[in-house]
Amino acid sequence: MSDSSAEQEAGAVIGIAFGNTTSSIAYTSADGKAELIANEEGDRQIPTVLSYLDSDEFHGGEAKAQLVRNASNTVAYFRDYLGKKYSEIDPTNSHHSAHPIDADGVVSFKVVEKSGEEPSNISIGEITTRHLKRLRDSAADFLGKEVTGAVVTVPTDFTEAQREALVAAAKGANLQILQTIHEPIAEALAYAAKENMQPEDRTILVVDIGGTRSDASVVSARSGMYTILATAHDYETGGVQLDQVLVDHFAQEFIKKHKSDPRENPRALAKLKLESETVKRTLSIAVTASIGVDSLADGFDFHSSINRLRYEIRAQKVFDDIMKLAEQAVQKAELDLVEIDEVILAGGSSHTPKIAQRFRALFPETTPIHAPFTDAAALNPSELAARGAALQAALISEFDVEDIDQSTHPAVTVAPHLSKSIGVVVVGADGSEEFRALLPAQTAVPARRVAAFAAPAEGGDVVVKIVEGVSEIRKTIIEKKEEAVNGEGEVEDESEEEEEEEEEEIKTKHMKVDKLLAEALLKGVEKGQKIEVTIQAAADTSLNIAARIVGTQQGVRGVIAAP
Amino acid sequence: VFSGEWPGENNFVFHAPITSPVNRKLEPLGPHFLAHARRKRHSRTFSEDDRL
Repeated sequence: MSDSSAEQEAGAVIGIAFGNTTSSIAYTSADGKAELIANEEGDRQIPTVLSYLDSDEFHGGEAKAQLVRNASNTVAYFRDYLGKKYSEIDPTNSHHSAHPIDADGVVSFKVVEKSGEEPSNISIGEITTRHLKRLRDSAADFLGKEVTGAVVTVPTDFTEAQREALVAAAKGANLQILQTIHEPIAEALAYAAKENMQPEDRTILVVDIGGTRSDASVVSARSGMYTILATAHDYETGGVQLDQVLVDHFAQEFIKKHKSDPRENPRALAKLKLESETVKRTLSIAVTASIGVDSLADGFDFHSSINRLRYEIRAQKVFDDIMKLAEQAVQKAELDLVEIDEVILAGGSSHTPKIAQRFRALFPETTPIHAPFTDAAALNPSELAARGAALQAALISEFDVEDIDQSTHPAVTVAPHLSKSIGVVVVGADGSEEFRALLPAQTAVPARRVAAFAAPAEGGDVVVKIVEGVSEIRKTIIEKKEEAVNGEGEVEDESEEEEEEEEEEIKTKHMKVDKLLAEALLKGVEKGQKIEVTIQAAADTSLNIAARIVGTQQGVRGVIAAP
Repeated sequence: VFSGEWPGENNFVFHAPITSPVNRKLEPLGPHFLAHARRKRHSRTFSEDDRL
């Protein structure tokens, strides 16, 4: 083995969630649990901010606080600039801190690093290096050993150039990026770990509501493997917009009292923004929150409070945009909302009760919505990405870099996915036929599934039908009426208009048989025996079928040829 | 359930192949993907992998 692998064994590997607004670091403990690491200030959500004052470098919360007094030497919201040309970036979020400048096409920041000296140009790569170095040092201090490698989460729309820039920046921080992984999958993995990595077949909607952007992804999880079916991005919806709602609300109140707009004074605006963000967080756990800013503008102090309801009314447009984004992703995946098995809300803004409520209302009651407000057992949405990264880091920590590169190569990752569900026809007690999926649509091959079914009560010869199935959405009209219980006669007496008003359309998903693939005959099945069906899809998409009577040698095997 | 005459001579009758699958990209993370990658790189089947 090479020297580098020997070095790796000595050091620790961590998971890093690198965001525009905040970053987190996490590690996996010896018992396999992912844990967030707090930095020296005790923050688990470390603001992605660097600031320079009196020849000192500040990072995280300390740097963020300097947005008020030292805005021009404070660099924030820079993650999405990495690996991009100056002409490609949208610097909107940096208007109130050090503004990105164009240094021969490279995004840079002009800040005074040493007091009394001329301002220097720091490239986006160097800023990222410094940020990662601080994160690495915080993790090393906590773990008590050197951190050599990391798995870092990136958005699904990160380009290859951005990934390369990230790896290069990390190298500058003496940190080897073992793998860059997609945020929604890291978030799904954090929940899978909660269920002890039980490989369930589910279609998951992951909505990551961040500070400056929101991303929605539809992910198919099949036997513990993940495939992204569709993604949607909104770069103008997130926590920053929610903060702005409160800034505007408080600013209007201030104007009424003092005839001056704190938004017109950069320092007053910066103060109001920081305080509004705190108010927003309080409103996620309490129904009222107060704000107090000494000498906000023109020497006037400002004290006020707001209740959650009023905030929710004012923030409605932002909430609407988030819902639109989620629905857009489901639509892009060519799915119906009822085909989503679970919803994971990730990112800091997912603490907002109203957002979780809106998702609760959008989906059928049986669909779990994983957010603190709708699921008491939900994980902290701010921690999901870092946890997922830490779990993956632990899994691959023993691998050589070469091994990781080979495993992530398209030759390995690109696989045929079933277009339709494959299963068997089960006859119910009432004689009705029902499709039971063994391999659901979007399962990557090769794959194998085994399921056991009760033999018919009368015994005898049994035909196992292997079929393809598709889902169909059934709409049923439910009349919300209590009179129906009293007797049928009374219902008919009601006027028609009234009935229509009270009708509610409920959509449900059903599976129906689409195509017969093969049949297998099992002779002489006795009462009470079980029939076990194994379907194994090979890499060439042929299917191996085995049906046998549990506990006996009796069985049938057959092959369904590849298309 | 069995109904009518059994059509074939064998106990298994093949009717039609599956609908053509679509190539998609798996996300390379999680223990189950790593197991998949290991099988694919060493050209092993599920049962060979189980035995190891």
